[in-house]
Amino acid sequence: MKNNGNGKKVLNFLGNNSVPILFILICIVCIPVSGFSPSYLINEIVTRMGRNIFLILCLLIPIMAGMGLNFGMTLGAMAAELALILVSDWQIWGIPGVVLAMILSIPFSILLGALCGKILNMAKGREMITSYIISFFMNGVYQLIVLYMMGPIIPIKHTTVKLPRGYGIRNSVDLFHMRQCLDNLMAVRIGGVKVPVLTFLLIGLLCLFIIWFRKTKLGQDMRAVGQDMDVARDAGINVERTRIISIVMSTVLAGFGMVIYLQNMGNIATYSSHSQIGMFCIAALLVGGASVDKASIGNVFLGVILFHTMFIVAPKAGAIITGDSMIGEYFRVFVSYAVITIALIMYETKKRKARSRAGQQLQLAQQEEEAAANE
Amino acid sequence: MSKSRRLVIRICAVLVLVLIAACMMVIGRGHTVYFDNKTLEYDGNTYEAPYKITVIVKDENVAKLYVKERGQATNIGQNFTVSLRVMEEKNGDETTETYSFKLPYSMDGVVVNLPGLMAGLPEEAWISEFVSMIPEPATAEDEEVPSADEFEMDMGDEF
Amino acid sequence: MNETLDKSNLNFRERVSEFVAGFGLPRLIIAAFLLLLFIAAPFVGADFWTQISNTINRFSWNAVMVLAMVPMIHSGCGLNFGLPLGIISGLLGATLSIELGFTGPMSFVMAIVIATPFAVILGAGYGWLLNKIKGGEMMIATYVGFSSVSFMCMMWLLLPYKSPTMVWGLAGKGLRTTISLEGFYDKVLAKILQIHIGNLSIPTGTLLFFALLAFGMWAFLHSKTGTAMTAVGSNPTFARAAGVNVDKMRLLSVILSTWLAAIGILVYEQGFGFVQLYMAPFYMALPAVSAILIGGATVNKATIPNVIIGTFLFQGIVTMTPTVMNSMIHMDMSEVIRVVVSQGMILYALTRKTEATK
Repeated sequence: MKNNGNGKKVLNFLGNNSVPILFILICIVCIPVSGFSPSYLINEIVTRMGRNIFLILCLLIPIMAGMGLNFGMTLGAMAAELALILVSDWQIWGIPGVVLAMILSIPFSILLGALCGKILNMAKGREMITSYIISFFMNGVYQLIVLYMMGPIIPIKHTTVKLPRGYGIRNSVDLFHMRQCLDNLMAVRIGGVKVPVLTFLLIGLLCLFIIWFRKTKLGQDMRAVGQDMDVARDAGINVERTRIISIVMSTVLAGFGMVIYLQNMGNIATYSSHSQIGMFCIAALLVGGASVDKASIGNVFLGVILFHTMFIVAPKAGAIITGDSMIGEYFRVFVSYAVITIALIMYETKKRKARSRAGQQLQLAQQEEEAAANE
Repeated sequence: MSKSRRLVIRICAVLVLVLIAACMMVIGRGHTVYFDNKTLEYDGNTYEAPYKITVIVKDENVAKLYVKERGQATNIGQNFTVSLRVMEEKNGDETTETYSFKLPYSMDGVVVNLPGLMAGLPEEAWISEFVSMIPEPATAEDEEVPSADEFEMDMGDEF
Repeated sequence: MNETLDKSNLNFRERVSEFVAGFGLPRLIIAAFLLLLFIAAPFVGADFWTQISNTINRFSWNAVMVLAMVPMIHSGCGLNFGLPLGIISGLLGATLSIELGFTGPMSFVMAIVIATPFAVILGAGYGWLLNKIKGGEMMIATYVGFSSVSFMCMMWLLLPYKSPTMVWGLAGKGLRTTISLEGFYDKVLAKILQIHIGNLSIPTGTLLFFALLAFGMWAFLHSKTGTAMTAVGSNPTFARAAGVNVDKMRLLSVILSTWLAAIGILVYEQGFGFVQLYMAPFYMALPAVSAILIGGATVNKATIPNVIIGTFLFQGIVTMTPTVMNSMIHMDMSEVIRVVVSQGMILYALTRKTEATK
């Protein structure tokens, strides 16, 4: 009897953590095959952690508010890119440049985030697909600004940034003077592994902020809205406003995250840096065991480690197993999408089950009431 | 929290951010400084270039300049300090002197004429703006404008 | 006699105002924009009839894929963002037909024949999945499409294709990213009864093929099964009470939609002249979705005229803006306009209050 209970527990655990476990298995198989040295792997993973965790953390707030995975975090990335383009044209270098870009991205992020939140309020119940389409739509607007308005309307001076035709921004903007300045300041080498302490400090600060924020009035409101909008509204919470704030916060943080990400990369791919970032961040979060309605900081860290280990080793392992290097490339793309698909399916089935259970309970209660009334 | 207090706090926050941003714009302005060891004619006087100048910026030898040579260094902010180790004649004695001056905010590239600097002339005599001589090659590759609908799926090691 | 005329006149006027109301403001703006483009075209030196031919041509390529949206919208499954799944079936049909050595028009027929079982099987799986997650169809459909496309990317490399026209010359294995259809079914439909008048050329065959499918769809929607499907979409509770098997109807609509997408991509390829593999089908759902929305469809209502109007407007803008804008302001803003118009249209449809409650 007891054994049975234990078995059930194990099964439950496996069921709840199937995605991370699957990824651990993939990594266990792929790491030896790929033949990378442990120090190389650890170095790469630490770099990628510094680069990505901040971005992924920004997804937690909309999940708290019950708005699902914020595919609109791309908007924050766009805001950061706009800011960085301007900063690199003004020739502000080093840490001041990074700080200035972050500050400059705030108004853009707030504007875009508020717009996104407003639109999402009009599309309750289908936030994810809507935020996904918003990111595409805004990409069009972003191109309009960057490709046509930068130059004639927004002054851009330097030919290193501007296209030779006189308006528009080059495909790639070099951030040479900002490159890894945040990572290199206070960097510590531990056994050949470069640890960007300052970046991790920033990440730690954001984690603390999120933990603190959950306990504030606004954070509690957000969770209430995430649980049940109608109940929250009855409790006197301004649901619409709370939802908009959560999206704005997420967008602003995504902007900061993108600045960190790009200073590590050292250049902006003006027209493509942001387009995939949302997808990869969401995939990494889900790999860490998060779901559409529940995610923790632990999920973020585990997700980044697992997802990026897979990302590093998959092409090499694929090339060795199948003899074709492209297979691994496609494999990791496929895995990213598959993980998101599976997470979405699990979320929806769970939601449906909960709904039917609630319906049954309601029916039962009604029957009891009727029975009581009859007596 | 009352409404007006909240407003005040908000305005203060915005002001602080703007202030920080303004500070960053001043202290973060990057300049490339070019050093010329070249004879300078100013006000009818001629300032001869020494045999060799070693340029030291932030305890780092950035260039060893013989006559008519040019070296460069980068600097963030307007305050710029440079140490020059000067050798007037071949195999002569070296004297080290430190100079501090302000770089003009509007210039990306600043050309400093070292003989002029050492002679203590007014700034406009030895500071000039660097103008790139090489025209930007307008390659077809640069003109290529990305398409919007078909996103490139370059997800290689970029991430 | 006079009276009846008056009456029909009145009817007509009523119908016009009804039409405008139903047409919606965004559509009106887009239509006006396209009209403006057509008017402006001759002034900026673009040949009017060439432009018209281009538009009609592109209409003929894309119309079937837009038609594929109709069944799923009717059964209440929302916009089919999972269109790439159907496209994959079509691509499998196309490549297998060539691999098996069919050429000329026969290869097109065989491509359809081979694609059909794939579309039915994949569509059935997809439909089964969508029945499990009612209410969250659109997001999951998007990602089912993405996953299937990226999965097939691996398959195109691994499947043992041998035909030298399709595989990489050097390696001798793995399909190329684009495969020319010359000698196979390049323009095979377009050439049937093609009309050439000066600069105007009309691919009659493709249009007829579309008309056939559209008529078939119309007839199906008016059959007993079709009306049951519509009932499922508009009021599932009522439909269930009336004895309609909701899940079965939805499954059928998804299969139908997937199959039409497979046919759609084949028609597209015969017009375009190339098979595009790997990442090409990735974003093909979005233009089709926005086209039908531009045509006046909503998230849960779509008709055949919506398909025709929408495809024409969308493809008109896509073909006209580059030439006209380019010569007018010497800036090629067509991409930006296309993205903003199409995605804006989808956003508009998603945020309409009336549709938000299901």
